[in-house]
Amino acid sequence: MAGNDYLTQIVTRILIYGILVLSVEMCWGQTGIFTFGQAALFGIGGYVVGLVTTKSTITDIGKLLLVAVIAGALVGLVLGIFLFSGKRVGELYVALVTLAISYICERLANSWTLLGSGNGIPGIPYPTIFGREIGSAMGLFFLTFAVFAIALILCIIIVNSQFGLTMNAVRDDEERAEFFGYSRSVVQIAIFVFSAALAASGGALFAVSEGFVSPSMSGLALSTTTVLWVVLGGRGTFYGPLIALTVLQVVNIQMQNALPSLWPILVGFMLLVTMIFLPKGLTSLPAKIRESRRKRVQI
Amino acid sequence: MKLLEVKSVTKKFGPLVAVDSASMFIDDNEIVGLIGPNGSGKSTLLHTICGRTFATEGSIYLKGSDITTKTPQIRAKSGMAIKFQLARIYLEKTVRENLLISLQAKESIWRQLRSASLKAFEVKISELAKEFQLEEYLNEPAKSLSHGQQQWLEIAMAMAADPILLLLDEPTAGMSPKERADTASLIKKASEKCGVLIVEHDLDFIKELCNRISVLHHGNIVATGTPTQIENDPKVKEVYLTRV
Repeated sequence: MAGNDYLTQIVTRILIYGILVLSVEMCWGQTGIFTFGQAALFGIGGYVVGLVTTKSTITDIGKLLLVAVIAGALVGLVLGIFLFSGKRVGELYVALVTLAISYICERLANSWTLLGSGNGIPGIPYPTIFGREIGSAMGLFFLTFAVFAIALILCIIIVNSQFGLTMNAVRDDEERAEFFGYSRSVVQIAIFVFSAALAASGGALFAVSEGFVSPSMSGLALSTTTVLWVVLGGRGTFYGPLIALTVLQVVNIQMQNALPSLWPILVGFMLLVTMIFLPKGLTSLPAKIRESRRKRVQI
Repeated sequence: MKLLEVKSVTKKFGPLVAVDSASMFIDDNEIVGLIGPNGSGKSTLLHTICGRTFATEGSIYLKGSDITTKTPQIRAKSGMAIKFQLARIYLEKTVRENLLISLQAKESIWRQLRSASLKAFEVKISELAKEFQLEEYLNEPAKSLSHGQQQWLEIAMAMAADPILLLLDEPTAGMSPKERADTASLIKKASEKCGVLIVEHDLDFIKELCNRISVLHHGNIVATGTPTQIENDPKVKEVYLTRV
């Protein structure tokens, strides 16, 4: 892989989007918070790193990640309190509000000169670790892989703890959970903040590995695409959406050149077919086949 | 001090008065039944007691504390547990996980993240499963249980929280006679630990089980007394028993 920077960059980008997918899976797949706003938080992480590195001399990746995570978590906290601290709100309401937030963030990034307007923030320097620059594609890959691995392990630990069961209880019947004594809003806010921090860390890695940030990284298209990966892969698992992301990213590169105008339509069609025939995503396909075989044997 | 006191509770939905100045009480370890024809306001009164909806007028006290405007979460933390008419359990989760969901509800997020109470809860899960005849299904998803077992699981989940007051909304709906008899003994056993309020249609079931019965008609409690008193009450016969 060392000799092939292009491939390394693709894998790095997949890992970065993988962190974004984890944040959506924690929110929607595990807790039932149907969010379309993760790209906004991803963008906040990226822009914070863009501003810090271009307006100061800070390039230490630890500090950059910390600043991005804090910024993402704070925005997530404010949004979480706004969305979940009052009465129960429906999935659709959360989806629409977070969709609007993504739209606002993209418009803001497009028009605010401090954020570089439509050009974004170019010239983000390579990050450093213990004073040494991470300037190679391979170095950035290892950095991203380390952060992705930590994020994935954290998510797995949380989901497999007793708190994971609480998240699922809120996802499956939040009113019932309240009647058991759960503080539904605290659970939802906690997960929203955690996944906001995850998304922001992904954005920070995107900024340092790509060397620029632009309005599109916080916009509707990325938010929707992330949800699409989770839908295709199957919400409720980590591996399904991650596989869907990887496959679609790889195929995307080939198809964008071969069928530039037809490819987005094909993706839309795939999504439609999956939602109709496999509402639990492609990971539910083996179980579905087993079930139909069992029924056939019974007949 | 009464375990539960409902004082002149009225619940209006726009111009409709669903419950009209209803008063009742439950003592510790007492089983009280709430009966009435369809549309009499039983479910609405139960929902104002459990916090699903709030009383328009009047007050509700649990062990002397005013809970009239408290959320279901606070009421649950104060010791109230409910079994809904249609079993609201987590169908995709196993029986063990369902019981754990109820057991860990009052644990802090930090303790839950560390799975700190898992071992201690395993003992309680085994006891509950044995008591509610669910031992052999502990690792089965709740959706694979029969209708009656799902109802028992929900009562077990309610009892897992060690409540001081258990609210049961039609606990025997759709059950076989054998399951009804088993449910009755489960409720009797539960009343050794807490007060019980049962909303039921089945008068035969409720009169064998309850210490007292209140009859609701058009949102008003028209009679309260022992099962024998209720059966012989001419007003009750007029408004309810003749319609069953």
